[in-house]
Amino acid sequence: MSVITPMNTPDVARFMRPAAEVMRLARMGCGHPTRLSFLRVMLRRLKCADWQIDRPVWNVDAKGVGHGVYRVRSADRSYSLVAFAHDLPPEMRSDRVIATAWDATFALFDGEPSAEDIARLAENVPYQEAGRVTSKELTLARANRSVRLFNHVVEALSEGLQPDPAEIRSVGYLMRTTAVYGSGKFGASDRSYIAERPELAAPFQVEMLTVWLIRAFTVDIVEHIAAAKGGAQAVKLAQETRRSLGVGNSTGLGMAPFIVRHPVLLNNWMMAREEALARVRAQGIADPQAVHGLTSALHCAIENAKIWQSEHPVQKGKLEELRRDLGVLEDGLGTWDWSVELPWNALWLWGAATLGLEGQEALLSLMLEPHGALIDDLANHMGADEAASFHINGAMSVAKLRDIIETDYGWALKIDFTTPENVARFWYVSEEKLEPRLGERATEEGATLEQPLCIARLISELYDTVKNYDAAKPVAALLLSHPDHRYAVRRAQIALSHPYAEVQDNLIAADMLPIDLLRCKLAFFGASQFDPRSDRWVRINLFAGAPFPDEIKEEASA
Amino acid sequence: MSVDPHDQTRGETAPQFADSEHAPLSCNEAAALCTKAARGVGMSWGMAEEAGFAASWLVSHGIDGPTQLRSHLEQADGLEWEDLCPAVTPGAWQNAKGQAACPIILGATLCDYADLPEGPAPDCEISLGTVNSPILLVPFLSELGRKNDLSFMLCWDGGQLRIDGTETWLSAAEKSLSVAKLALTLAVDSTPCHQPCPNETPNAQTTAATVAALANFAMRTTVPATEESRAGAGSTLSDND
Repeated sequence: MSVITPMNTPDVARFMRPAAEVMRLARMGCGHPTRLSFLRVMLRRLKCADWQIDRPVWNVDAKGVGHGVYRVRSADRSYSLVAFAHDLPPEMRSDRVIATAWDATFALFDGEPSAEDIARLAENVPYQEAGRVTSKELTLARANRSVRLFNHVVEALSEGLQPDPAEIRSVGYLMRTTAVYGSGKFGASDRSYIAERPELAAPFQVEMLTVWLIRAFTVDIVEHIAAAKGGAQAVKLAQETRRSLGVGNSTGLGMAPFIVRHPVLLNNWMMAREEALARVRAQGIADPQAVHGLTSALHCAIENAKIWQSEHPVQKGKLEELRRDLGVLEDGLGTWDWSVELPWNALWLWGAATLGLEGQEALLSLMLEPHGALIDDLANHMGADEAASFHINGAMSVAKLRDIIETDYGWALKIDFTTPENVARFWYVSEEKLEPRLGERATEEGATLEQPLCIARLISELYDTVKNYDAAKPVAALLLSHPDHRYAVRRAQIALSHPYAEVQDNLIAADMLPIDLLRCKLAFFGASQFDPRSDRWVRINLFAGAPFPDEIKEEASA
Repeated sequence: MSVDPHDQTRGETAPQFADSEHAPLSCNEAAALCTKAARGVGMSWGMAEEAGFAASWLVSHGIDGPTQLRSHLEQADGLEWEDLCPAVTPGAWQNAKGQAACPIILGATLCDYADLPEGPAPDCEISLGTVNSPILLVPFLSELGRKNDLSFMLCWDGGQLRIDGTETWLSAAEKSLSVAKLALTLAVDSTPCHQPCPNETPNAQTTAATVAALANFAMRTTVPATEESRAGAGSTLSDND
């Protein structure tokens, strides 16, 4: 089912941004994490519910090789991250999904692993894709060191010193994950078997838990190696420094198709976020505490924008724009008149007229931040029962289908797919590595094996058929005579009840930037400091500034 | 197929098993592998998704759907849509060319026609003709039964199967329909059928041979690498930083 959540007031709907505005790549590529991002949802649950977190196993030698177990327990259930630490020669270190060895590998175990489970995992997890896990495992992941910072921190701590704050700020994490697999990959548990558990109902909760526990591991392993090296003079990381560290993540094209292949899920993420913004805008007055919260969040965003680095020309331009816009916002808020009618809406409208896309999407995140009580329930609507929208309504008339296409896919019908620049690329899966790639149609072989990711063109082709088809006939008859359109018909029927299901852009255009798709998804995860390494490859930071396992309870009671 | 069985550097989930090993696939893996394999054999993307649905539905109910799909795809390889699709007329859905029907196309089309006059309405009887791997029809019939509160009876020469309120109908179906092909008649009744629960132990046992055969078909959807494609795939900067 789609999320048509009960509106708090009848007025909320009129503050929703239309899909035509929200679902454009340029804007999606400016997404910022919000309090509805999945890692924030997970941290809120760990803070509020009765979860105990500890590290019952730490079996690591002086070189930093061995394994540890991180356990998260409630009265009813437990989850355990089994972490394997390896000694990786530098020449084997690659962030590509096709790497063959890593500094550390992980599996999230459903429950508490026995010695036999750990022995079984030790024979599989270090090999990642070449190994197998079972339905007792929820995720499979790996991470590589940020060599520069990791070595610097080991050196400093082993000599009894704290690392150079400038070095910490310039990287932001000790390790970065290069893949976190869930949802039944490599034999792991299917999501359908765990989706009913309240703590896992929101999207990507096992993946977020995995990464959060990996973050604790990255600090433990660096302190362990420093202690082995420096002996009695070694020290631990200062708590404030530790807190600033996140887990890096390196993401390539493989994540882009996900956004396109899961239209109901994408719709539900977007709809929850957009309704959150609408609820904030619909408030008649501004609560002083929320205004104060907005100001605090803005100061954090300004600090974050200062340390956010990128060498990518597109991102460099966006960062300049963001820093400028945050300054404009700070100035604007300094003299903002909160006594006007619908003050939050006035702020939003001012921002939409004044700020660039980076600034506007940052403002969205900032406006949500102090409104937890108003919007946090929306996180419960961000999952999706995709099976429910899988089956095609064959009794729908072709006239109705045509109407859906004309109404919901007008943006797609406007694209002229006869021009070379509008069909310049094609998505495919490489035979050699089985990874998704993007090819140049004019110069590369393989366009006949194109993946069905350019929804605009598929819908456009469907429309050409539908225009000349007997409008009174049912969709079932259309599909029997034109089976190639089955995929696009399913999309169109989903779009009918899911307004935010489609990225409303041409995904094979010459100037399309895959990093925009990646950033949208990563912002929903809760990532920050997006640093594109090319137009199809991006590094991010997760959990920077968030509590560690030993801090989360104190904060809950504070 | 160019993938070395011991290659550790593969990017997607395409499980590898050796010899006669049992191969426990998650539903997600079964769906992904079967979708790609069906596409590799020539199904449209939308129909290939139906193949993924059917195979993973069977896996989630403890039945080796991938092996049944493999058997059908080996029969269907190289055939055109016209050789595999039903000719939909009231009471008779046999393939117009007299060929054995594809159970995926037939099942999906039965669902498409669920609420139409030619479709599986209560008290009707439809001659389906010969159907490959008929167990693959079951996920579609179960779904149809759930949606429209229907029961079914499949009849063939020397046997019959009821998909009805009996809790054990699925295990009876597994026994009688896990065959290469059957000439079937479908009778529809307006009483709700029992909806079997997904299995407690989710990963179905399929065989290494099935996984290899499906992966072979799936590889037809992939594009051989070129220097250009390799160069564009990753970061242009060093990761050793």
